[in-house]
Amino acid sequence: MRPRPRIDVSALETMGFGPRSTLWWGVVSMLAIETTMFALLFATYYYLRGNESIWPPPGGNPPFVPATLCLALLLLSVPPMAIMHRESGNERNLKKMRFWLVVGMAIGLLALGARAAEIAMLPFRWDHHAYGSIVWVTIGMHAIHLLTSGGENILFAVLLFKGPVEDRHLVDLRLNAMYWFVMVVWDVMVYALIYLDPGVLRS
Amino acid sequence: MSVAERYEPNAGAEADAEEARRLRETWKSRSGLIGFLTETNHKKIAARYLVTAFVFFILGGLEAFVMRLQLARPEAHVVGPDLYNQIFTVHGSTMMFLFGVPVMEAVGIYLVPLMIGTRNMAFPRLNAYSWYVYLIGGLLLYGAFFLNTGPDAGWFCYVPLAGPEYGPGKRVDVWAQLVTFTELAGLAAAVNQVATILKMRAPGMSLSRMPLFVWATLVASVMTIFAMPAVMAASSLLALDRLVATHFFNPAEGGDALLWQHLFWFFGHPEVYIIFIPALGMVSAILPAFTRRPVFGYNAMVLSIVATGFIGFGLWVHHMFATGLPQLGQSFFTAASMMIAIPSGVQIFCWLATLWSGRLRFAPPLLYVLGFVFIFVLGGLTGVMVASVPLDFQLHDTFFVVAHFHYVLIGGAVFPLLGAIYFWFPKMTGRRMFDRLGKWSFWITFVGFNLTFFPMHQLGLQGMPRRIYTYRAETGWGDLNLLATAGAVILALGLLLYLINVLSSWRGGALAGNDPWGAEGLEWSTTSPPPIYNYQHLPTVSGRAPLWEQGDDQPVVVGLRTDRREFLATRLIDAEPDHRDTLPDDAWAPLATAIATAVTFIGVIFTPWALPAGMILTTIALVGWFWPKRDRPRDWMEEQP
Repeated sequence: MRPRPRIDVSALETMGFGPRSTLWWGVVSMLAIETTMFALLFATYYYLRGNESIWPPPGGNPPFVPATLCLALLLLSVPPMAIMHRESGNERNLKKMRFWLVVGMAIGLLALGARAAEIAMLPFRWDHHAYGSIVWVTIGMHAIHLLTSGGENILFAVLLFKGPVEDRHLVDLRLNAMYWFVMVVWDVMVYALIYLDPGVLRS
Repeated sequence: MSVAERYEPNAGAEADAEEARRLRETWKSRSGLIGFLTETNHKKIAARYLVTAFVFFILGGLEAFVMRLQLARPEAHVVGPDLYNQIFTVHGSTMMFLFGVPVMEAVGIYLVPLMIGTRNMAFPRLNAYSWYVYLIGGLLLYGAFFLNTGPDAGWFCYVPLAGPEYGPGKRVDVWAQLVTFTELAGLAAAVNQVATILKMRAPGMSLSRMPLFVWATLVASVMTIFAMPAVMAASSLLALDRLVATHFFNPAEGGDALLWQHLFWFFGHPEVYIIFIPALGMVSAILPAFTRRPVFGYNAMVLSIVATGFIGFGLWVHHMFATGLPQLGQSFFTAASMMIAIPSGVQIFCWLATLWSGRLRFAPPLLYVLGFVFIFVLGGLTGVMVASVPLDFQLHDTFFVVAHFHYVLIGGAVFPLLGAIYFWFPKMTGRRMFDRLGKWSFWITFVGFNLTFFPMHQLGLQGMPRRIYTYRAETGWGDLNLLATAGAVILALGLLLYLINVLSSWRGGALAGNDPWGAEGLEWSTTSPPPIYNYQHLPTVSGRAPLWEQGDDQPVVVGLRTDRREFLATRLIDAEPDHRDTLPDDAWAPLATAIATAVTFIGVIFTPWALPAGMILTTIALVGWFWPKRDRPRDWMEEQP
C-alpha cells in the first residue's frame, strides 16, 4: 500500500495572538455575553422610565462627582494598559510589561475606590423605588466587573514578578488587557445612562 | 502556507504503534474516583451530559404521565391542585432547562471535535465545569421538589404570581436559581463550541465544507450567547425582588410586571431554536447515509440555519399578544413570526428533494427523520395559525398551544434526537442497536405521540385552558382527554422499548466497525468507539463528504507533539494550519469552582451575604484553576523573573 502523504506541522509556532487563538474567541464570547447583560439592564432602565412622569423619582440623584472621577481614572488607565498590551506582543520586554501593568493596575484600584465612594453616596436604597433598583444593579454589576478585572491585574502582576512565565501567558496577559478596555467602555455607557440621561440632567 | 506537504515512506507499523502508545499516555484520564472527578475529555463529559439529560427526560416524562392520569377523566383525584401546580412547573422546567438544551449540547460536545477532526474541545476544563454546574442545578430542582418546595408558578414563572407578594416561601427562588445554574452551564458550553468550531477544524475544512450539524451547533451556540443572558438577568432581578425587596416587577413602586415577560421571552423564543436548530443539523447529518447522496442545497441549508438564528430574535412578543400591545407592535411580530416559516420551509424542501432523489434505506434513523418531517410540519402550521393575533386571542393559554409546542418540540427535537442517538450509537459504543426493536419502538412512539397530542388541538378549540388540575364532566372534554391519556400510555411504551434497545444493544449488539452506515462524515473514519485522542493523525479534508470523496492519497497531519496535549489551530475561514497550541491537563479545578458556584447560587436563596462569600470562594477556586504547573513540557518565555 502506498503510504498516505503527510502534512508536517512541527515547524509552526506554538501560540497565536488575537483572533488566531482559541482563547481570544472564548474571551470575546464571554464579553459578548456580558455586553448583552448590560444592554438588557439599559433596556430595563428605559422600560421602567417609561412608567414614570418624574424621572428620576424625588429623593435625590446619584452622586455625580465620584462617578465622574471613576470614569476619568478608568480612561486614564487605558494608555498604560495599551502600552503593556503592545509590549507583550512585540518586544516581550519583561521590565516594561511589569511597569505598565503596575501603573494601569494602580490607577484601576483608585477607580475602584471612587466607585466604592459613589455607591456609598447614593442617596437612595435599592428598595426605595424601581429607579433605585435599576441604578443599584447597574452600578453594582459594573463594580463587580471592575473588581474582577482589577483582581486579574493583580494576579498577572504577581505572575510577572514571581514567574515562571510561559509564552502562552502572554496571550492571557493581552486578553486581560482586552477585558479591561471593554470594561472601560461599559463604564462610559453606564455613566452616560445614569448621569447624562436627560431626565437626570434636567433635575 | 508555512507547512510542508511531503510524501515520505511510512515510518512503519512499529513507529505508529509507539506513537499511539505515547498519545494514549498523554491524553488518558486518571483512574478511579479521582479520574472521574478530574475528567476533561469531551467524549466522557458528553456521555455524562447525555445520561444526565436522559435521566431528567425520564423524570419529566413521569411527571407528564401523572398529569395525564389526573386529566384522564373529569374531577379525578390522583393529585391535588397544589401538587399539580408543582408537577407542571417542574415538568416544563425539566424539559426545557434540564433536557432540551443540555441534551443538544451533549450531542454537540460528543460529535463536534470528531466531526471537525480534532482531539478535544477548546476549553476542556470549562466543559467539565459546565456539566457539574448543570448537574447541581438539576439536583437543586429535584431536591426541592421532593421536599415539597418545587416551583409552582409555571415554567415561565410570570410575575406577579411569582413575585414576593403572591409567591411566598422558597419555591420560586428554587426555580430562579435552577435557571441561573443551567444557563451558566449552557453559556459555558456555547462559548466552548464557538472557539472549537471556529479555530480547530481539520486542515481543508473551510466554512463552506463544514458539516451541516456543525453549522447548526455554531448558530445555536451564538444564539445562546445572545439569548441566555436575558433569562439570567430576568431570574436574577426576580431573585433580587424576592430577597432584598427591589422593585423591578412591582408596579406599586414604579416596576412593571410586563417587563418580566419581555425579558423572559427575549430569551424564551430563541431558546426554542437553540433546542431545535441542532436537531435540524442532526436530520441533515442522518439523511445522506440513508439516501446515498449528499443533502440537497448545502448553501441554501446553511443560509436558512443562519437566517433562522437571526429571525428567532424577532419573535418574542408573539408570546405576549394577549397582554394588550400597541397595534403596530402586534403587526410587526406577526410578520416576523410568519417570516420564520420561510427558512424552515426552505430546509424542509431541501430534505424532501434529498429524499426524492436518493435511494432510500428504511433503517430506524431514517424513520425518525420521516416522523420528524410529518410532525414538525404540523407543528409549524399551527405556529403560523397562532402567529395571527385574533386567533391567538382565542387560543392563548389553551390546550391548543400545548398541542402546538409539543408538536414543534417533540416532533422538531425529540424525534431527530432519537434518530441521532440510533445513528451515532455505534460510534459511541462500538455496537449497533437492534433494528427490529428499533422499528417497533419508532412506530409505537409515533402513533402514541399523535394520539396524545393531536386531540389537544381540539380540546383547545373547545376552550380547555392549560394548567388546570381538573374539569367538570359537563364541559364535554372527558373523551378526548381519555384518548390523550391512552396515547400517553402508548407513547411511554414506545420510549420504554427504545430504552430497552439502548441498554441491551450496549451489551449484546453486533459489533459496528468504523462506519456501519456507510456514512460520509469524518467521525466515521476513526474507530468505534474512538480512542481517547480521537485520531492518531489528525485528518485533512478536501470536500463536504470526506469519506465518499477522498481516496488513500488524502494527507494526514503529523508533527504535533505527543508528550503534551497539543492540537492544531487552523484559520477561521479556510482552515489552513495556523499554529500549534496546548490543551490543559485534567484537574480538580472545574469541580472545585462548580462547588463554589453552587454555594453562591444556593446560598443566595437564603441570604444576600452568600454573594460576597461565594465570590471569595469562587476566586480561590479560579486561582487554583489558572495556577501555572510544571508537570508537562512547556514553552517558557526567554526572559524570566
